[in-house]
Amino acid sequence: MKSLFVEGNSRMHRVSARAKLLVLAALGVMLFLTANLMLLGLAVLATAAIYFSIGLPARSALARLKPIFLTILIVALFSLAFNPWHVAVVALLRLTALMLFAAAVTATTAIAQFIDEITLLARPLERLGLLRADDVGLAVGLVVRFVPEILDRYRAIREAHAARGLKVRPTTVLVPLIILTLRDADNIAAAIDARGVRRHVN
Amino acid sequence: MSTRDLVLSALFAAIIVALGILPPITLGFIPVPITAQSMGVMMAGVVLGARRGMVAVLIVWVLVAIGLPVLSGGRGGLAAFAAPTTGFLIGWLFAAFTTGYLSERLVKAEQSGLVQTVGFFLSAMIGGIVVLYAFGIGYLALVSGVNLEQAFVGSMAFVPGDVAKAFVAALVGRAVMVGYPLLPVRA
Repeated sequence: MKSLFVEGNSRMHRVSARAKLLVLAALGVMLFLTANLMLLGLAVLATAAIYFSIGLPARSALARLKPIFLTILIVALFSLAFNPWHVAVVALLRLTALMLFAAAVTATTAIAQFIDEITLLARPLERLGLLRADDVGLAVGLVVRFVPEILDRYRAIREAHAARGLKVRPTTVLVPLIILTLRDADNIAAAIDARGVRRHVN
Repeated sequence: MSTRDLVLSALFAAIIVALGILPPITLGFIPVPITAQSMGVMMAGVVLGARRGMVAVLIVWVLVAIGLPVLSGGRGGLAAFAAPTTGFLIGWLFAAFTTGYLSERLVKAEQSGLVQTVGFFLSAMIGGIVVLYAFGIGYLALVSGVNLEQAFVGSMAFVPGDVAKAFVAALVGRAVMVGYPLLPVRA
């Protein structure tokens, strides 16, 4: 699994992850406070300028936004069919600006920086006894480690179907896939505890 | 949360991610191939129960937020939270919780297979459709300029596919319960 982070040394790369996330949150609020087409248009231009200045080739920069921009566009067209054009355009500009800046933050912030920020955010919850902040990094590591394994297992199950001349049905694939995957949980948990990764286990 | 529960949630998050990478599965009874990722959320509820199912979705959220392209179609990153359909992504958390909560209460070990399957189906329908669409439609109306009624009508096109997914999730939930029971009631 390849992260959407792009190596580089643009101005956005040098800003701290926390500052970028705070600006993104503020932008999310501010965009929804105004319905002024001029202001929203400026926001789109500014965020586009930021997004296209982070050193990503224009083609791949556009390619990674395509699926999300398409949903924004389709919903805007749907809205245009029933509402005054002004309403649809406001929503289109708002979401496009937000998408551009969010994509810029994602492309210029490394996974480790994100995990540091999330762990920090989780600290207050930890004090409430809801979770353990360090588990965030552990869980992310586990998923990244096991997705390829699950994909291999899926292929093996399909081949087993083919070898027996069985039709591939969702249930006959998903049930063994889930059981085989979850059955590892005991061993993985034992391995984690044996290494003392989560210091005070209950 | 015990280490085992955390690992189970993480493994299920990995299954949800993998379902977004695998080619869409074709069901026998409807012609359209379905993307299995939202079915993964229903399955997280029926297989793991409320709490662990919810944690599995939380982990998927974290993966999206830190910039991994884990949503179907290679979507990911913070921009995935800026789409008009983000309400459905948010709703996943409550869908998994509701599905799990109802599964824990409706399905008992001593019931017959049919009753268990129906219990899981109802749980997946209420959690994975009613609750999920409430968030999805509400958010859509909030950010995209369409009103609630239009958002509702527009979303209805996806309901038949999701009913089929709830059905598959129920069959899977029942089969996994027989093969490797995990619901907290029996744990």
